[in-house]
Amino acid sequence: MALVVGSPVSGTVVGLAGVSDPVFATAMVGPGTAVDPVREPGHVCAPVAGILRKLKPHAFIVVTDDGHGVLVHLGIDTIRLDGDGFRLLATEGDWVAAGEPIVAWDPFSVAALGFSPVCPVIALDATNDALSDHSLRGQVGAGEPLFSWN
Amino acid sequence: MDPEPNQTGQPARPALAKARAIIDGLGGAANILEIEPCITRLRTEVRDGTLVSEPALKSAGVHGVSRRGAIVQVIVGPEADVLAQDIEDQLAQDEEDRF
Repeated sequence: MALVVGSPVSGTVVGLAGVSDPVFATAMVGPGTAVDPVREPGHVCAPVAGILRKLKPHAFIVVTDDGHGVLVHLGIDTIRLDGDGFRLLATEGDWVAAGEPIVAWDPFSVAALGFSPVCPVIALDATNDALSDHSLRGQVGAGEPLFSWN
Repeated sequence: MDPEPNQTGQPARPALAKARAIIDGLGGAANILEIEPCITRLRTEVRDGTLVSEPALKSAGVHGVSRRGAIVQVIVGPEADVLAQDIEDQLAQDEEDRF
């Protein structure tokens, strides 16, 4: 059964080509899509259920029971914010449900500091043809399906 | 202490061979000023960007390389922090061997 990857944030699906970081734009770590979040304080949620394998203020990885790793990056180059404005709501190594809040942040502040708050959502080490619906664009709510991973 | 080769003569951990190959691809230990792991990449600063070999890095098994002058990002996937630690260990080892 295909794994449904949910949107970590509410916003507009813009695709990886719309991401200013070539590492994501050229799918170097895997295919996926990206969501431009609404500019208001909110939570970034787990896109799938699984183990929170990595957790940094600006990015996290959830790995499902069958080994699918999904990376969520909170904005572009935001490692340079050094965690300022990001609050961790979970702990690395936790099992998390799909849709569970992982990090609290404010995309408006991130943008005001000159960083893109666009969130790439990446199927780590997947092949492009393993995904479907990742070319869709438009509005999405947090937790709503973003793409499927076969 | 020398790293212990196992009975087949291979390095005890294959990951160390990858760390070594990445160091070489970045122009060698002396060329590396800083290595910082991000979630899927190593952000490195080198002394001389012209000593960095993208083909060598690619053959070390990395996903990709993104560079802007002396700032070289080596895209390695989610094992970035383990790999960064292996590289730091190798660099410390090289430092010891010099004296």
